[in-house]
Amino acid sequence: MKTHNQLPSSHSLVESRFAYLFLKALKELNKNRPSSPSIRDTYRRYNLIRVSAYGLMASAVRPRRAWSRATLWKIRNRTFLRALMKRSRTRSLTRRVPARGNPKKGLGCKLVKDLRKLVPGGEEMKFCRLLNETSHYMKCLQAQVQIMRNIVDHYST
Amino acid sequence: MEKQNTFTNEENCSSEQLESYFFNPNWDNSMNQNDPFESAFSSMAASNGIIGDNIVVRELIGRTGNSQEMSMLDHQIAQGNFPINGNRFSSPPSSAPFPADPGFADRAARFSCFANKNLGAMNAQLGSNEAELPHRSATNLEPGKISSYQSFKISSCDKKLGCLSISSTPEKAEFCESRENSSISEQIPAREVGTNDANDRKRKAVLRGKAKAIPSSNSANISSENSGSSSKRSKPGDDKCSEPPKDYIHVRARRGQATDAHSLAERVRREKIGERMKFLQDLVPGCNKVTGKAVMLDEIINYVQSLQRQVEFLSMKLANVNPTMDFNMQALLSKDMFQSRGAIHDELQLLDTYPFQCQQGPNLHSVIPSRIDAFPTNYFNDATGRNQSKQQLSVDNLVSTVWEDDLHSLVQMGNGQNQTQSFHGILPTAQTKAER
Repeated sequence: MKTHNQLPSSHSLVESRFAYLFLKALKELNKNRPSSPSIRDTYRRYNLIRVSAYGLMASAVRPRRAWSRATLWKIRNRTFLRALMKRSRTRSLTRRVPARGNPKKGLGCKLVKDLRKLVPGGEEMKFCRLLNETSHYMKCLQAQVQIMRNIVDHYST
Repeated sequence: MEKQNTFTNEENCSSEQLESYFFNPNWDNSMNQNDPFESAFSSMAASNGIIGDNIVVRELIGRTGNSQEMSMLDHQIAQGNFPINGNRFSSPPSSAPFPADPGFADRAARFSCFANKNLGAMNAQLGSNEAELPHRSATNLEPGKISSYQSFKISSCDKKLGCLSISSTPEKAEFCESRENSSISEQIPAREVGTNDANDRKRKAVLRGKAKAIPSSNSANISSENSGSSSKRSKPGDDKCSEPPKDYIHVRARRGQATDAHSLAERVRREKIGERMKFLQDLVPGCNKVTGKAVMLDEIINYVQSLQRQVEFLSMKLANVNPTMDFNMQALLSKDMFQSRGAIHDELQLLDTYPFQCQQGPNLHSVIPSRIDAFPTNYFNDATGRNQSKQQLSVDNLVSTVWEDDLHSLVQMGNGQNQTQSFHGILPTAQTKAER
């Protein structure tokens, strides 16, 4: 974190922020829940929750990491991207810039490509940076899963 | 991404409303803290590839360019890099000195004038400078941040270059004093260039002759002036500097190992990648015995995929939870507010309007009480300012009500009734946001 008054564990800050945001979002989403949800409604809510989970995690991280920026950008421009996709279905949404700085052919280019697809914003990073982002992204995903699991457990009891 | 495919749902418009509501305040919050970040960030958000390009470009040029954007980008990149060593390469924003370009041009011209003049005095001065350098480096930069002399070692072979770069030690003295914070890394390459001739060893390795205050851009210019060898070496320098944007990596040529620029660069790169793979290995559970990068990568990919699937599964579960959750949510929030301790000083704004009860609830990963205050106020301030078209319906609510209500109204808008209208409203809004 950039601030001088730095937390001893900046990750817990991110986690708490995400938990807070997510709880709020869930609360709001559930306020309008119809009494007898149809499949469509449920799917809609599922979609919203999923998007909000990813997006809120990215927000909690702040646009400090490349993957959070990429996630937020994608969510923000979803309609724009959707139009793009409709216009040219064959073209990939992410720019196909060949990633430079990836001499690890022996490592398995396919693996690296898969990793790039997994990590948001990982299409155009060098390999070193990709590993950085992957580690941070993994940590945040772990925290997210934990928090969501806690919420589900709390509400299912 | 699969996210993209699912986004084609018409419900996405509603979720986008919701998400934009969440995102904008947070973004604005961070942007308010760093105004120049916004300009840099918008460009970055538009194309993620800019980040890499900037780094490369920056390395090539040395530290030219006094643009604040560059320093902001540097800061962003430095912050975002390499969690393992605690940002060993990161430096405070203030230490991102980018002297103005015209200044560099002037100095470069002056340096060239001084060719062959101070060659004799250089070594003596270099010795003295060397003594100063550790002190400076201790004060200003971490030792690890000292520039990589790769690109400049090459040029050191060339006597002319040495003269050019080392020239004007008096000039350097001035520059040293003037740019103490930033300049160490800049000075070092210059010094490196100076000492060359005596040793055929790779200058990369040794901090020799710290000729003072040659701006790194100057050295970079000099090295770029050189024949292809120097340009080749500057490339490994670029590779290495992809992580610490401002400084060059100091590489020591080990005994019995190849000492040319390429192999050194490759070695550093391999070490970096190896370090990160080790860190990732610690993150992924059950990968302690895995050896080899390919297998490790495979495990990482599987793990990330499984995590993402878990998130989706849990969100589906949450979507199916019965409505009695609403009441529990309130209680849960209130419970968790006091759940964990933690001093979040950077966002502490004491708000005491929320009545809390200290109860033991599910451990939700350190939800911190004082954090509630930051969000509602931020949401209000930012939301009202930004999303005019989208929140026309709920602006009144936003301003006047507690945070729950404004979210509520947003979700209402998104969830159901005016989907078509909201869609049209969202689309231009999304466009404008993309343009921002």
